[in-house]
Amino acid sequence: MSSLRVTGLRVRHRKTLALDSLDLALGTGVHGLLGPNGAGKTSLIRVLATVARPDAGRVELLGEDIAGHRGLAGVRRRLGYLPQEFGYYPGFTVREFVAYVAWLKEVPAARVAAAVERAVTRVGLADRIDAKVRTLSGGMVRRVGIAQAIVNDPALLLLDEPTAGLDPEQRVEFRALLRELGAAATVVVSTHLVEDVAAACTEVTLLDAGRIAYRGTPEALTLLGEASDGPGDHPIERGYTAALRAHRTPGAREGVR
Amino acid sequence: MTNRGRQLWHASDDLVARYAEGVLPESDAWSLEKHVEDCAGCASRVSAAVRGTAAGAVLAQVRAAVLAAAPVPGTAAAAQPRLGGTAEPAQPRLTEPSMPAAPRLTKPSTPAAPRLTEQSVPAAPRLTEPSVPAAPRLTKPSMPAAPRLTEPSVPAAPRLGEAAGRPALSRLARLLWAAGPAVRGAWLPAVLGVAVAALALSYGAGFPGTRALLLAVAPVVPVAGVALSYGPHADPLHEVAAATPGGGLRLALTRTVAVLVVSLPLLTLTGLLLPASGAPAAAAWLLPGLALALASLALASVVGCRAAAGLTGGGWLCAVVGPVAVAPGGTATGRLAEQLSRCLDGTAAQGAWAAAAVLSAVLLTARRPAYDRPLRP
Repeated sequence: MSSLRVTGLRVRHRKTLALDSLDLALGTGVHGLLGPNGAGKTSLIRVLATVARPDAGRVELLGEDIAGHRGLAGVRRRLGYLPQEFGYYPGFTVREFVAYVAWLKEVPAARVAAAVERAVTRVGLADRIDAKVRTLSGGMVRRVGIAQAIVNDPALLLLDEPTAGLDPEQRVEFRALLRELGAAATVVVSTHLVEDVAAACTEVTLLDAGRIAYRGTPEALTLLGEASDGPGDHPIERGYTAALRAHRTPGAREGVR
Repeated sequence: MTNRGRQLWHASDDLVARYAEGVLPESDAWSLEKHVEDCAGCASRVSAAVRGTAAGAVLAQVRAAVLAAAPVPGTAAAAQPRLGGTAEPAQPRLTEPSMPAAPRLTKPSTPAAPRLTEQSVPAAPRLTEPSVPAAPRLTKPSMPAAPRLTEPSVPAAPRLGEAAGRPALSRLARLLWAAGPAVRGAWLPAVLGVAVAALALSYGAGFPGTRALLLAVAPVVPVAGVALSYGPHADPLHEVAAATPGGGLRLALTRTVAVLVVSLPLLTLTGLLLPASGAPAAAAWLLPGLALALASLALASVVGCRAAAGLTGGGWLCAVVGPVAVAPGGTATGRLAEQLSRCLDGTAAQGAWAAAAVLSAVLLTARRPAYDRPLRP
């Protein structure tokens, strides 16, 4: 069963077409969203987060069509979202901040305190839970952003560039958290870092110029890279460039899909 | 994940030591973990090495803490719901380290579980020495599992009691946070500034028409508060809030209420302290203030918060100050007081403002779905 289904999605962004007749269905697991800058990753995540309204097409999340007012609140209660540019209140402590988002997500008041501690512990910030957000480093703020996204135990988790600003060790830990979250929820991670996808994702979707250029497992993308002689230091990086090139070459497009 | 020697190799002492210290590269650690699942001899050596590290001590502590905490839920009947709420998510994590074998086998979401369930080789070492497979996982510092499993258990016990005593406080705190940028930001000093300036003008400079001035300005204050507290330009968290069920109209209304709760009493009390000098009563602006705030919210669903506030606030100032500028005779403040009387005094005027407030509320309810998505900036 797919917890996320998009059909014929079209999104305009400042008069350019950010997404063009996109069809996508995703189920439980960690889904990597790859693609060059401007490919439409953020546009897609914002539509899936119910923040941006699509210009055309149908978006079904957790079994609800989100075009209507009715089902939207129910979907949003089970949604987690970390935007690319994550704004915060610098004067709040980590605990206050995550609790505030839990309040916005309508987590029952009796459960908020425990849910906040659990989310903050899962991102490894338990020792800084009562520190003001302004005193934290960039990587820690990013982890606060991940904590606020998972505080309601979302069934659908959308993370836009979550590993930006994390050091290598934190990224390794974050990938382990992703795998854990992906066991029960649908996790969509947009990233520039191909190795994050290789290590943590069950499936890869490669976007280019608002269209899907490639879909498959990280292993399949790696195999594609091993077969090609394109640029890249790792097989999966070569797979990434090979898939992009194949998509951009007219005529060869259908072969890759 | 290769087949290189299930029984073909055994872990060297150096490998075991480095694993226990957590300095082993991830790939080597994985192969060692895979190996100890099938090799009781190496498993017991790894287990012994791990018990000797700091993490071993933490594990023992966790075990003791869990055993000590176990009877608590039965005794504290009054705090039952809160205890239940706190213990619910923490429970699996707390029990896991103390009884590694059983929860690991039943909990498929942990990374270790599939390995344990799928393996076919003798279960004996695992059952007789249950801490063996769990201990390495808990102590390996490169895995986030270690801090996650061990840390919450230590502060959990005191927090259970602490949580029971502060629901009212935390509810108040949440309300204050919800009030958000307006009350914390530039608006609050501005409201205080208006109040202090009015008093200073009246008593310090002896200016007689201060109440009229205050009444002319006051209805714009909550409108400005609404514009400064909601929307992408005002709230750094707006993008996150826009994806939540409570980030739409509920948040806008909460912040409007916060703005009104601060500005209505403060400016009305200030007005009461000022000499009347022909101006309407100090409380006469309350209904217009409410009506304009609600009208701003309704209008914001179409044109955005800032434009809406500009329209309603600007409209009010034009209606009050405009005629004063063109009308002949008398002092400016006298004319302002007269104009305010026309707008505020009497049952008809106040009734009209009440009707306007109700109409704005109805329009806002009708426009409610517009708050489901971010408003225009």
